[in-house]
Amino acid sequence: MNHQPFEDWLLNNIPITHEQKRDLDSHLRTCAYCAALVKTDKVLRTVKMASPANGFATRFQVRLAAQKAVDRRRRIAGSILFTLGGLALMGWVASPYLVTFFASPATWIAALVEFGVFLVTTFQATVQAGIVILNVLQGFLPPFAWMILLSTIAGVSLLWSVSIWRFVRVPQGV
Amino acid sequence: MNDELAWVLQAQQGSDEAFAKLVEEHQTHVYNLCYRMLGEPESAEDAAQETFLRAYQNLHRYDQNRSFATWLLSIGAHYCIDRLRRRKLLVFSMDEENDDGSSFEIADAASPDPEVESVKREDRDRLHLLLRDLDATDRAAVIMRYWYDYSEIEIAESLRLTVSAVKSRLHRSRRALAGMWQEETPHARTERRPHESPAF
Repeated sequence: MNHQPFEDWLLNNIPITHEQKRDLDSHLRTCAYCAALVKTDKVLRTVKMASPANGFATRFQVRLAAQKAVDRRRRIAGSILFTLGGLALMGWVASPYLVTFFASPATWIAALVEFGVFLVTTFQATVQAGIVILNVLQGFLPPFAWMILLSTIAGVSLLWSVSIWRFVRVPQGV
Repeated sequence: MNDELAWVLQAQQGSDEAFAKLVEEHQTHVYNLCYRMLGEPESAEDAAQETFLRAYQNLHRYDQNRSFATWLLSIGAHYCIDRLRRRKLLVFSMDEENDDGSSFEIADAASPDPEVESVKREDRDRLHLLLRDLDATDRAAVIMRYWYDYSEIEIAESLRLTVSAVKSRLHRSRRALAGMWQEETPHARTERRPHESPAF
């Protein structure tokens, strides 16, 4: 009998008869490779579980507390950065009006009205421009291109939403 | 409802005390997996801690139909595989074993035959070293099979492989281990009988 059936028996742990067992024993005496298969299997079955050093759970509590502190600091830093960024942007946008705002009470109201008018006209202009662009593009772009464009926009929006969700998500129990 | 599931549910609702009980319960399993995967106690401790941390942060994703231990080991195995891939080269420091994190058992003088125990210990240490030469995923499969008695289906679920891939990885690993064992055994080579396969 050649080597292969013995290797298959050993690798697949196939139940064997007494006669086959005799053949296997005899093969193991001459085949170092199969003997090594049996030996490594036997040793693997006797290796014990390794245990961590005492106080593992306590060390984990310390690490968890440290991680929570890091997460908390990161959230606070993120909030501060976000708020400061928003304030800076608002300040930059509003700076021309702020100068006027602090000049005199009469000009405050004028500036406020002017700003309101600016917002409304900007919005109207944007809408108009959008309508014009859409009208123009409608003639140029075939329907499948619209589908691709809208799908891309939807995909990017979804990606953006998921990214925001992942960023702000707080794991349970924290 | 068993205790473990109750602890998981409490931990999911924010109870650190319940999660601490889960850590106590599973620390040895997770540590052993990390130790067998990474080969050294310091890395294993760090990886086991990281495994529990990841489990804590992702408790809301745990599917209660699965075994919690399997879920934990799956996190640990993937973490260790990633870590091994990153570091590429393993450095084993067998001399750095200590009494607390003991994994290489010292022969018990009171046991029936200290010499036999000593040989067994040497064999286990030798095999532990040979494990490092296996591919990271193969190693995880072998560890789950032999230390945790996982079925091929459970290993496949834990490592996100197909059952046939697990089977093939286990066979490949056992062949590799046997080959390395044979190479390292002095005078292990025996004469091939004339009628046997020329492959051996």
